[in-house]
Amino acid sequence: MHPPERPRSDQALWHERHPGRRPGKSRPATRIRKPGEPLDPQLTGQDPAATNALITGEHRWAAVSRFRQAGDVPGPEGGPLSSRGADTGSAPIFLIMRRMRTPLIVLIIIFAITTFGLALAPGETPEGEPHRMGLFNAFYVMSYTASTIGFGEIPFPFTPAQRMWMTVSIYLTVIGWAYALGTLLSLLQDRGFRNALDMRRFTRRVQRMRDPFLLIAGYGHTGQRLGRAWDHLGRNFVAVDIEPSQIESLEVDQYFADPPGLTADASNPFNLKLAGLKNPHCQAVLAMTDDDDVNLAITMSAALLRPDLPVIARTISAPVEDLMLAWGTPTVINPFDRFGDHLRMALRSPASFRLYSWLEAGPGSEQPPPGSPPAKGLWVVCGYGRFGQEVVGDLLAEGLDVVVIEPDPPSDEFLAAELDLPVRQLPQVIHGEGSEPEVLDEARIEQAVGFVAGTDNDTTNLSLIAAARRRNPDLYVAGRQNLPTNRSLFAAMHLDMLLVPADIVAREAYARLSTPLLWRFLEEMPQRGEDEAIALVHRIKDRCGQYLKDVWNVELTAWQAPALAGYLDPESVSPRQRQRRHAGQTGRVALTIGDLFRDPDDRDERLPVVPLMLLRDGEATIAPSDDTELHLDDELLVAGTRVAQRELQTILLSEGTAQYVVTGTRMPESWVWRHLVGRRLPNT
Amino acid sequence: MNLEKVIFGFFVLLAATMNLGFFIGDIADANLHSEYELYAAVVVSLITTVLKFGDRTQIGAVHLATSLVADLQLIAATIVWVYADYVSSSGLDAHAMSSIVSLSGGALLANLVSVVLLVIETVSFHRR
Repeated sequence: MHPPERPRSDQALWHERHPGRRPGKSRPATRIRKPGEPLDPQLTGQDPAATNALITGEHRWAAVSRFRQAGDVPGPEGGPLSSRGADTGSAPIFLIMRRMRTPLIVLIIIFAITTFGLALAPGETPEGEPHRMGLFNAFYVMSYTASTIGFGEIPFPFTPAQRMWMTVSIYLTVIGWAYALGTLLSLLQDRGFRNALDMRRFTRRVQRMRDPFLLIAGYGHTGQRLGRAWDHLGRNFVAVDIEPSQIESLEVDQYFADPPGLTADASNPFNLKLAGLKNPHCQAVLAMTDDDDVNLAITMSAALLRPDLPVIARTISAPVEDLMLAWGTPTVINPFDRFGDHLRMALRSPASFRLYSWLEAGPGSEQPPPGSPPAKGLWVVCGYGRFGQEVVGDLLAEGLDVVVIEPDPPSDEFLAAELDLPVRQLPQVIHGEGSEPEVLDEARIEQAVGFVAGTDNDTTNLSLIAAARRRNPDLYVAGRQNLPTNRSLFAAMHLDMLLVPADIVAREAYARLSTPLLWRFLEEMPQRGEDEAIALVHRIKDRCGQYLKDVWNVELTAWQAPALAGYLDPESVSPRQRQRRHAGQTGRVALTIGDLFRDPDDRDERLPVVPLMLLRDGEATIAPSDDTELHLDDELLVAGTRVAQRELQTILLSEGTAQYVVTGTRMPESWVWRHLVGRRLPNT
Repeated sequence: MNLEKVIFGFFVLLAATMNLGFFIGDIADANLHSEYELYAAVVVSLITTVLKFGDRTQIGAVHLATSLVADLQLIAATIVWVYADYVSSSGLDAHAMSSIVSLSGGALLANLVSVVLLVIETVSFHRR
């Protein structure tokens, strides 16, 4: 029997919908304990873990992990049904042993029987006396007969009885060998066995990595581009991809190091752990697969298993981006969103964008040509997908007129919600294909200043650009290249701005990871105005040439720059050393940026380097001038050639070079000479 | 009854008995130690070793180790025999014979450990 239905108050209904809350007045809260605060009263003189007491706060994890090493799953761990996964370490050798059992036993038995028979078979000496050859000689004869070497009949020519036995033996032993070798070879070609071998080799190599490395999950075009650039820097990475062909490219392509790769599903945390997610040398995790869900799973695994690691994830969908951002602070790169930002930056401050794209493109990139998108007038955007939506939003935000051409446009309400605009301010939307002349007429292509070909089909994009250019050759054209294989076609079109999603993601990830200061520079630089950016572009071009060489950090710490520490801060080195170093002069020698970049061969020359940013006590100075005085623990971001990088390294490390560069006096390099000079010092 | 267990137990025991058969007798008297018995002991010991391949348990590992020791000792004994018989100028004298038999004695110890392991395994299996 059900209890009779009774009318309930609104409050009772609310509590029914929120089952976690108790109806009625809340308890009189004396004091609310913050998480991490110790329990009151304190349990003294007891091991909280041993007394089964409720352990809270920071001690909780310590106590829990005392009982559980891995700390992966709540509840009792271990036992035969544990989900830890079998030890894959020694699998191949056991597999060989187990499979080779039967063939080896067959071989041993065949050998034993034939040797024994031959030892007992009646033989004869040349004089006709009966003779048995014995076990040792029989074993010798069988060994060379079985391996088809065949030295002949020893110690005496065989009797017919011995030959009969030999005939049987030859066939038997050949069968035995063939069986054993056949089994071994088929085992070596067995897919399961090879997988076990590969897995073992991969795990070993990842475990043995002692230098910082990147974990690149998803080794497609983006991952490969990033991996190659990273390898070029002389740093390590580990790649995981579900496609065997992508991992095989690691062996086929040219790499300085030999990066380990695993063919496995990266959304499985176990595979990420194999690839070194738990390795203390893992530096960052990059989720670069084509699949947003997999990238989300990787972000999640990394955030849960290694919350301290930076994560860079790629996605093309805004909802997935929000989901990713719920997991700690990953860097989410949405190429379409980034392209819109770049377009805005190019519209607003073209010189800054020029410098930005040059530095972000990494070593070896050519200086981008000057030129800016028209900041006034009508833009025609073809294709309103995820990309078109971002671009249209950014163009409208910059106050430009936009016409959208799309064969299958969304409704006005949908558009208004997406662009966050009232319906009457929406851009004009034309139903139709952009390559048709009537549609282009309607879009007023002759009066337009900019054109964006943003469909997800490269052929369509190329033909759209061709059609638009025929009508209006002065257009500023931005295009979207979806497949990396079409690179040459888009290059031949000489677009003003090109979106390659894989490139955008790879460049930003590279800029963020390769040089920690570079990203900060790129973020702060646009606020400094156009003149500064133009000056910097010219300075880099004058000193280092048309192609960007390298960008690196110079840390002026006592550890990284021992030779300069005395000049930067006299207190940081021992008095004796200080005295020796400043033998000829008095007072502190101020060290400026200009001094630091003198050529160690001839200090009147300048090294081909450009200081981009100076970081002091967390405060950044963009493009510091040459007379800026340097202090200990300053950090510099510099662009220059690789030779200059080595020279600068010498200045930082070698005392003699540092003294010459800073003061112009030569200092004895060898220990003996240094002591001889030191003895002649006036005060010692 | 499990045929695999029968064969395994058979060979482990046979290796020990063959070894004992060769070992028993005056240590320096070549007439009391047959070369064919040593040959059989080596062959059976090798087969036992291969039978123990591929067991990943702790007891399996010790099993394999004892067999490898027995193989090593028996093969060493065989080599000493062949050397004394065919190469050495003094022939198969009391000195050579005693070293052969004492080597096989070492193998016998390893084989006995193997048998003890087999017994332990059997007893613990029944208890479970």
